[in-house]
Amino acid sequence: MSKYAMVIDMDRCVSCHACEVACRSHYDVPVPYYRNWVHQLRPEGVYPDIKKVSYVGLCNHCDDAPCVKACPTGATYKREDGIVVVDKNLCIGCGLCIDACPYGARYINPDNEKVDKCDFCVDRITHGEEPACVATCIAGARIFGDLDDPKSSVSKLVASGAEQNVSDEVNVGPNIYYLDSHNDFPVVKAAFPPKVPHTPTPQSMWSKVLRPLFWLAIGGTFLGQFAAFAAQLIKGESEVKE
Amino acid sequence: MGLSTSKLNEDIILDHDLLKSHRRLTFEEKRILANRVMKKHGVAGVTLHWVNAISWFLLIATGVALLSATYLKFAPDWYLDMMEGIFGNKGAMLHFHIAVGIFWVLTLLLYGVFGFKNYLLDFIKHDLTLDKDDIRWFPAKVKNLMGKLSNYNMPAQGTYNAGQKAYAVIVAISTIALIITGPVMAFHIGSITVIQWAMMIHFVATMSVFTGVFVHVYMAALFPEERPAFFSMITGKVNELYAYLHHYKWWKEIKNEEHLFFKEELQKDGILLPELEECKNIKDHIVSAKVYNLEGEQL
Repeated sequence: MSKYAMVIDMDRCVSCHACEVACRSHYDVPVPYYRNWVHQLRPEGVYPDIKKVSYVGLCNHCDDAPCVKACPTGATYKREDGIVVVDKNLCIGCGLCIDACPYGARYINPDNEKVDKCDFCVDRITHGEEPACVATCIAGARIFGDLDDPKSSVSKLVASGAEQNVSDEVNVGPNIYYLDSHNDFPVVKAAFPPKVPHTPTPQSMWSKVLRPLFWLAIGGTFLGQFAAFAAQLIKGESEVKE
Repeated sequence: MGLSTSKLNEDIILDHDLLKSHRRLTFEEKRILANRVMKKHGVAGVTLHWVNAISWFLLIATGVALLSATYLKFAPDWYLDMMEGIFGNKGAMLHFHIAVGIFWVLTLLLYGVFGFKNYLLDFIKHDLTLDKDDIRWFPAKVKNLMGKLSNYNMPAQGTYNAGQKAYAVIVAISTIALIITGPVMAFHIGSITVIQWAMMIHFVATMSVFTGVFVHVYMAALFPEERPAFFSMITGKVNELYAYLHHYKWWKEIKNEEHLFFKEELQKDGILLPELEECKNIKDHIVSAKVYNLEGEQL
């Protein structure tokens, strides 16, 4: 089986946003949302020691994806090849996955009120093509491939020391790796650290209080009726009406 | 009150709240009552009950199977797999759930809009409103179940007893909550915060009804004393003995009305029990009744 991943070579990226545009046009992503982004950070330092960094991001297709756990209906699921996808027929647009995602990779598409996000261009890669953002990148800064194949370029780059955007608090096994030789990645990590997955109040009440409460209530009524029916069986049916 | 029903004076008879329950019948009286029937539900009520029951069954069966997140789900994995197998995929199941939900809401609206005057108002007034006898019924029922209070000393009950009314109140509130929260989720009305709260309220409303529905079904289908109620949901009728023993206040009300018009007939049938003789001042009892002759003139 394959395990798809992407390496972003920050040394090569020229912040041209071509990947973002390719993605937007391929999937008709409405402004101001995106499946795939280039966030330009403000310049840092004093001339001539100045640096300007871009955060190139997309869905991390995490190994232990919090969005998959949060989805109430199972519309968001992880394929066997590691790609996290959304079944639009089953999505009810509740946004629990948006609250759970550490990377802000999801949005509700106002056109159909369902959640949308990067799916590694699953329709393209099944036809042997590269994802749109990878195919369009003028600098070859995005490298896509199979981590299960040790001969693939992503495997080699990950082995050579590409890093994930993880913190001590949040590490859910993201599959987007960053390569950089100018100490740029720590700047990105400081500006866009992964968020702790959040469960909204109604759902935490549901799982912690309401569900156990209703299990007890239903169990109680079942036991009560079991006792009543057992008593009825012991007593037997009377011949005379009332 | 230490009075037995057969010795009640007229003042007390006219005060429903102080009406004691039925007395012990003679064998002959039982035989007469058991062989007579009374109409309990109209065709509209019976139809609505079964449409509602089938809709609830389909909606709960699919709704519970739609919840698959480990921290929210209510049904075991094998059930989710089974339902997915029946429907082919869960997207189809979601659409089925929404379609049945729309059908259910439309049925209730039909009943609520066109039957507003004849059915809904009556339902709210008689079946959802608990009077003093109903409030007294709850502690009395506990004593009755513990064997400390006989059936003959229970507070008299109307068409539905207080337990049934309390459950009807839960069902009515839950139904309103479901009619609001369902479309919020199905048609994405409001922000995701609104939808998240709607999901939780939808769950609570469903589970409140689901908890009680086992008691409802058990009582109707298996519990011997209430079994005539089950058949009344098919034929619309109950035998008078059941009505007398379980819904005395309702039985008395109907008999009083009949007494007004068919006194001789009832007497011929031997149905004129002492209870009815007590209630001579029938005009005081049925305050709002208007009687018309065949030409439409008020008498």
